[in-house]
Amino acid sequence: MCETLLDVRGLCHSFPLGAGRYLRAVDGVSFRIRKGEIFGLVGESGSGKSTVARCVMNILRPQAGSILYRGVDVCDPAQFRANRRMLQTERQIIFQDSSSSLDQRMKVADIIAEPLAVNHIVPPRGSLRAEAAFQLRYVGMDPAYLDRYPPELSGGQRQRVAIARALTMEPSLLVADEPIAALDVSIQAQIINLFRHLQAEHGFTFLFIAHDLAVVRYLCDRVGVLYRGKLVEMAPTKELFDRPLHPYTKALLSAIPIPDPRRERARTRFHFDEAAFDRTGGFVQVSPEHFVLGGKEAEP
Amino acid sequence: MDERFALVGLCPAAEQAAPKGRRPGKRPALAAAFLALMVLGCLLFPLLLTKDPASMDLSNYAREPDGTFWFGTDTMGRDIFAMIWSGGRVSLSIGFLATALSTVIAVAVGAVSGLAPRWLDALIMRLTDILLSIPSLLVIILLQAALGRANIASLSLVIGATGWMSVARVVRTEVRQLRTSEYVAAARCMGGGTFHILRRHLAPNFLASIMFMVVMNVRGAIVAESTLSFMGAGLPLDTVSWGSMLSLAENALTAGAWWIVLIPGLFLVATLLAVTELGEWLRRSANRGQSNL
Ligand SMILES: Nc1ncnc2c1ncn2[C@@H]1O[C@H](COP(=O)(O)OP(=O)(O)OP(=O)(O)O)[C@@H](O)[C@H]1O
Ligand SMILES: [Mg+2]
Repeated sequence: MCETLLDVRGLCHSFPLGAGRYLRAVDGVSFRIRKGEIFGLVGESGSGKSTVARCVMNILRPQAGSILYRGVDVCDPAQFRANRRMLQTERQIIFQDSSSSLDQRMKVADIIAEPLAVNHIVPPRGSLRAEAAFQLRYVGMDPAYLDRYPPELSGGQRQRVAIARALTMEPSLLVADEPIAALDVSIQAQIINLFRHLQAEHGFTFLFIAHDLAVVRYLCDRVGVLYRGKLVEMAPTKELFDRPLHPYTKALLSAIPIPDPRRERARTRFHFDEAAFDRTGGFVQVSPEHFVLGGKEAEP
Repeated sequence: MDERFALVGLCPAAEQAAPKGRRPGKRPALAAAFLALMVLGCLLFPLLLTKDPASMDLSNYAREPDGTFWFGTDTMGRDIFAMIWSGGRVSLSIGFLATALSTVIAVAVGAVSGLAPRWLDALIMRLTDILLSIPSLLVIILLQAALGRANIASLSLVIGATGWMSVARVVRTEVRQLRTSEYVAAARCMGGGTFHILRRHLAPNFLASIMFMVVMNVRGAIVAESTLSFMGAGLPLDTVSWGSMLSLAENALTAGAWWIVLIPGLFLVATLLAVTELGEWLRRSANRGQSNL
């Protein structure tokens, strides 16, 4: 359980805004994901979560930093080429927006079986179609949907097709970019249980991106908090929720509603002053597993 | 069933039958059959017929349709039945050649513009807009005059070279969209090479959106040829095409010979209708993939 699967070091990515200006979407983010672990990445909208996921999947090329998967630097073209097949079969991504990540002109059956067809993998369940039907069942959809096209599905059904497509490859690392945000609560719970099952039974490793903290608390082993492209805090889930150190994390956690109305009314909202955010500080280790940005605020 | 499925549970598909309203519509069987017949006829009849469509038999001029001359003869004594098929060959060839040329130009210009940096893209698109705003018949006549005496090749060249702009704009927009689309990124992530992406993703999406316009260009090219030849600016009278046959209309009407105008006219109109029908069907089936967001 201790072997590092993914090691992200000092990742930086900027988007050109034109006229020589740049937007620093990800700024010096470092974290490690161990084999068989579910690592959660949380943060408000626009904090750079998807950008981190895209860099990890080689969709974007980071300007600085390195990403090591099983010790292979995926940002290095030579190393990438040498390990291309391993990298492309073992890492899979579930995109945030399934309406644009599925080809509208392909049937659900072809979409789900596409990774197998691309990699010329002999389908373990006989035919590509049988494989697609199996995966579709796995995410809770009737195989009758196999011959539909994505525009004929609901948003939640499309998202589940995207999840099924990622699962066909039985990836070692599954990058899930808000995979359940479009689903209703009961399906959300079912998909989360499916992820837990995949982790426990099949040893999948997850980079799980979310903004729903309740889900993160239930599902993830460790959590990183991203704010404006900076990782401000990283700790095991229980520790982070019990003893948040960075003011932004405190503000984020204090925004979770409490189901008990009396305690909800008594709850103190912690406000985070954006102007006071200090992005220059270093990442400080306060306990073996707990890191926080900027030393001064780290005092409890 | 595997008890592992119990993890997520299963909700049955709501309705099994495909929804009716989204069907691409019935296939245009009649139009397709008619076009196939025309193409076959134009390919085969000129080889089989013994009568030379260009030979003038002045003893038999402006004859009504009868047993020997099925569609009659024109004011120069040429057999209209033979002329229809060899003329159709010319008209359809120009339609296809000109469209092939304009499509190649359109895809090339559109792809370059779609992949180019912003300033080059803007430049190409403004030039395209300018060309698009000039009436193409005028440009065709000018170009044709510059090239000299018209023949099938030169007329196809001129019509093709002036008909690519609107398709190029569509191609450019499609390329811009597809280039950044997430399903292409997803396909690349799972290891799909350039060829796979081209064949499974780009080509189907891209072709679907330009097919209709390309088919309409075939129609446009046939019309352009007929118009030019009818006005006497296209193929010369001794090169038989549907358009040049129609250019005898004035003579024919003064001679009271309806068949000289009506028969080639009917063939022309029926062919154009069939092409339009095919194009409409293509457009309807391409639109099936609209998102329900
Ligand atoms: N292609 C792009 N071009 C320019 N800027 C971009 C691009 N993609 C993202 N950005 C910017 O980068 C920042 C981070 O975006 P990102 O998509 O990573 O956010 P996110 O954390 O995933 O947000 P959300 O929770 O809304 O998905 C945002 O400010 C966004 O505007
Ligand atoms: Mg995102």
